[in-house]
Amino acid sequence: MLTEKNTMGRRRFLRGAGVLLPLPFLNLMASNARADAFRENPPMRFLTLFKPNGVHPPSWNINGGSENDFRLSPLMKPFEKHKEDILILDNMGDFGFSSHANSTRRFLSGHHSNNNSASVDQLIADKISGDTPHRSLELTTEGLFPSQIGCSYISYNKNGKPIPRESDPQLIFDRLFRNPLASPTRRKQMASLLDRVLEDANSLVRKAGREDRRTLDEYLSVVRDSEKRLATLQQHEPNAKMDVDAFKRPGAGANLDEQVDAMLDMIVLALWTDSTRCISYMLGNSNSRMIFDFLGINEQHHYLSHFFRNFNRSNLDSLLKISLWHMEKFDRLLTKLKSKREGDGTLLDNTLVLYGSGMGHSDNHTATRIPIVLAGGKGLIKTGRYVRYSKNQQLGGLHKALLSKFGVDSRAFASSESPLSGLDASNFEPYQEPKFASWIRADGNQIQVQGRLRMSDNLDEAKIFFVDVAGQPSVRVEVNFRDFHDFNLAYHCGTAVIIKGTGQQQGQRWVIEKVSDLISVFGRKPGQQNG
Amino acid sequence: MGEVIAEDFETEIRPFLTTYCADCHSGSDAEADVDFDSIKSKDQIKTSLELWESVVEHLKAQTMPPEDEAQPTGQERDKVYRWYNELVSTIEARPADFRPRRLSVVEYRNSLRSVLGFDVEVAVAEAEQTVTQKSLVIKLLPLDPPGESGFKNDTHNNPLSVVGWDQYSFLIDSALEELFSNRRQSELVLLLGQGKGLKNRLETFTGVPDQSHLANLFRTILTRAYRRTVDVEELAAVVKRLDGYRGKDLVAQTKFEIKTALMSPRFLYRGMAVSGKPGRQAVDPFELAERLSYFLWSDMPDDRLTSLASTGELANEKVLHAELDRMLASKKASALAEVFASEWLTLSEIDRVRKNVPIMAALKSQPLDFLNFLFTQNRPLLELVDSDIAFINPHTAHMYGADAKQMVKYVKQRGIEIESLPNQQINLVATEERGGILTMPGVLAMNKGPILRGHWILDRIVGEHLPEPPMNISPVAPNKRGEKLTFRRRFEEHRANAACASCHDKIDPIGFSLDSFGADGSYLFKSNTDDKKKKKKKGKLPVDLKTIDTSGKLPSGEEFQNIDELKKILTSSQRTVVIRNIVEQTMSYALCRKLQYFDRPTVEKIVKEMDETNGTWGDLFHAVAASIAFRETIIPGK
Repeated sequence: MLTEKNTMGRRRFLRGAGVLLPLPFLNLMASNARADAFRENPPMRFLTLFKPNGVHPPSWNINGGSENDFRLSPLMKPFEKHKEDILILDNMGDFGFSSHANSTRRFLSGHHSNNNSASVDQLIADKISGDTPHRSLELTTEGLFPSQIGCSYISYNKNGKPIPRESDPQLIFDRLFRNPLASPTRRKQMASLLDRVLEDANSLVRKAGREDRRTLDEYLSVVRDSEKRLATLQQHEPNAKMDVDAFKRPGAGANLDEQVDAMLDMIVLALWTDSTRCISYMLGNSNSRMIFDFLGINEQHHYLSHFFRNFNRSNLDSLLKISLWHMEKFDRLLTKLKSKREGDGTLLDNTLVLYGSGMGHSDNHTATRIPIVLAGGKGLIKTGRYVRYSKNQQLGGLHKALLSKFGVDSRAFASSESPLSGLDASNFEPYQEPKFASWIRADGNQIQVQGRLRMSDNLDEAKIFFVDVAGQPSVRVEVNFRDFHDFNLAYHCGTAVIIKGTGQQQGQRWVIEKVSDLISVFGRKPGQQNG
Repeated sequence: MGEVIAEDFETEIRPFLTTYCADCHSGSDAEADVDFDSIKSKDQIKTSLELWESVVEHLKAQTMPPEDEAQPTGQERDKVYRWYNELVSTIEARPADFRPRRLSVVEYRNSLRSVLGFDVEVAVAEAEQTVTQKSLVIKLLPLDPPGESGFKNDTHNNPLSVVGWDQYSFLIDSALEELFSNRRQSELVLLLGQGKGLKNRLETFTGVPDQSHLANLFRTILTRAYRRTVDVEELAAVVKRLDGYRGKDLVAQTKFEIKTALMSPRFLYRGMAVSGKPGRQAVDPFELAERLSYFLWSDMPDDRLTSLASTGELANEKVLHAELDRMLASKKASALAEVFASEWLTLSEIDRVRKNVPIMAALKSQPLDFLNFLFTQNRPLLELVDSDIAFINPHTAHMYGADAKQMVKYVKQRGIEIESLPNQQINLVATEERGGILTMPGVLAMNKGPILRGHWILDRIVGEHLPEPPMNISPVAPNKRGEKLTFRRRFEEHRANAACASCHDKIDPIGFSLDSFGADGSYLFKSNTDDKKKKKKKGKLPVDLKTIDTSGKLPSGEEFQNIDELKKILTSSQRTVVIRNIVEQTMSYALCRKLQYFDRPTVEKIVKEMDETNGTWGDLFHAVAASIAFRETIIPGK
């Protein structure tokens, strides 16, 4: 959508960038020292993307696998092409039940009780924003949710107070690139505008009475102040010019999908032009009541996210469609970041992206196995891996690690004193799964299978599960509506189970058409909580 | 003002004030900022009419001097009343001096919409239970504080700032980008006007410019923006300046010309282009059209109104009143409830009552829909205080007992947790206590406790504006161990001294009469208005019903047992007071200024007319529009 030339020379661009800057930054841009430094050593940016309402774990979690040898989960399919650029963290979060508001604060603040401190993005912004025109941008898609106001914010200032967010890509674009005082063309236009309204006002002065005169004088003094300000700006004219008008203003989105696409493109442009180095973006409020009608869904997202208590097949299909849409937006972002060349690499190399949610299981609200994916950040993190920690990790530890990567000194963050290991090449203690055998036993149409249970990769067939068996095609399990709850297959996904049932062999593959029993090999049982 | 009155003031009134009032009401630390020493010139005697009015009220009600101070004799009192009546009788109605003023934020938003044909909005995903500011105008412009009149359209003391200028500029750029985008093709075509095909008209900006279409565009935009017929030469000059531009350049230059008009003082202010020789005169027809439309619509005149102004027909009494009726029938007249009444009755306070948006919206839309009904369906003024019509939806239905059965049943769609819903009009039969604005759930809930409730009714409905309480008051004492006094009893002890009583004798009886309603606005007495489920869950009510005392006595001596009886007093023996307040508020809003002593005869005339005929809101709007203050002006000398 944006049609700026990607091949524009760095030096030329940066001189031009000075034109975008409000007054205090113009002096800095007068020298080219900064531009040269930028070209030699592009700055690292920090970008966070918040996915509301947790996930449906069976479709999100990676089943088995190891650090360098793993199979992406059904929901991660859009990432296949980014596999080498992402680092998937598992067993993140160490808290039981968490409200929507608390889990939202947790995403960037480590813990919901960490409410007197800035969120991690803001601490990083303090460190890296340098002399960029905008210290940081806090973005979102929807309005405030006063019922639980904490659901509306992930970024907090140093007093732990929420930072207002902006939802309109055009508005951000205009602030960044259409500031009437920031480009010579626009300043010239403003100057002639002031001339014209002055002329208009003066012609009124000639016929004005006493009272009119007073009001007109108010107006005239504002116009004259604006003229003076322009004159000051004119003197600080940088040598080279870049035509910011060549950046195409984003269109007004007809629906959420288009609005988010426009915002993502806007984010990439803001980072690439070094207008800011730190952005947080919420794809929705936690507890979001949004209706994804453009996906053909008529129920609210929050309602659907309680996939167990509001269970029915079409609800689950709808929820998975929404989750997949979130992933597609992340994919779009990564693709766009990669498309911008910078230094010897891409903009993604120079941007550490944090994608995730504040809770794991969207129905029972547990803050464990929270979806967290890091991307880019070349030199700071080692991507292309799946890191599942042996124990549940505090989010604060991840934040502490990010802070130290960005060179922010901090003793502890959200009472996490040690940074999370394993983001780079450092050692971490991986999750150890007890060993188990896998087999199939069939007697007529009676089938028993032991192995790891997983959902179908095809999200359109949410009633199909597979049990992986070494050296054989995975056994296909077709689940009847009632059996979803009776056997709770979703709960056991990713773990070793014995499933008994009736079915038949189709070609090489065994198919169980009716489940009669499910036994967890290691005795896992759903707790009191749903799901 | 007669010389006699000024002389009498010095010989009769000033000594009276010195004897009975000056102890507290003089000098820089005068109580309630009433300083009789500051009245020095003859002119001040006249312009302080409001002060004399309150002196007379206090003397009549015996609320001043305080009980424990020396009291004037009956003769002395009569002397003051006589002097006051003479003073009033010398005042002649006249219009105010003409003063231009900047459009308020809401007026600016509506006017910009009316010029271009669309609202400039913020992109945001809409979802239930969220609040957003969709209007880019309201989001960006600095908020208007209320002016001296108490209304935000009184912008006289709220000048344009450099920040404001930048925001106007930003807004117009944004609006014009949108006007020339694919999304607004139909709006642009409308502005380009009649003739030839749609495609041909748009080609004005891609192919060879069509002068007639550009002239149409600017005739429409300039006429609307300046709210008066555009000067032929000015129009020709604009079109000529576009000569030679093609394609993109033409679009850019057209935008620039439009922006020039929309940043001009003639658009940003009202009354900048008003012409006339110094002196008293009828307002010019375009100004009259503006006065009407900003009053009734908070918006600029529509094309029809401006055209009636340009032909001079609007000055015709019949045409003016017919137009007023047409405007009241328009949807835009909802601005009277949303802007005028909302500011007058502080309805934005309801926003804070509940956090759950659909519930909050339900509570707030009740008074708004009710007021819109009164204003546009020509209902009697006093139905403001008591009425048998209400507007409810399923979120407020539990407050309306059996009457809620009149609603069409609502079925919630699967997958929706809670949603905002429109109101339905019902007749109050089983829940008559809900009639009128005083006992609407949201209004009751926005004022916490009997004192704020009582003060709100006095201040907003009765029009009695009390001074601020002194700062050094300790809080109401809690019950001592073993004591079980009601708040009312403890408060009576707390406010026993005479200085407190002068106001609280007025506030408290009114406020405590509403104790039959809980803090959330629910009615505590009738079982049929209690939500049965809620009752089960919460067990018993927060207060023992037997301890609630809603009876009281007004300073006039009239007694009542409960709010129903108080409403009857307000609509019968005290009706003139309520009507006067309604008239004053409406006039002040319509004129965008504080009322002055020379408006008094106009107010009294309208009050009398409304009182005698049991006038309706429509009657009142007509009377205001026909008044000297509205129809005439004084253009000051240069």
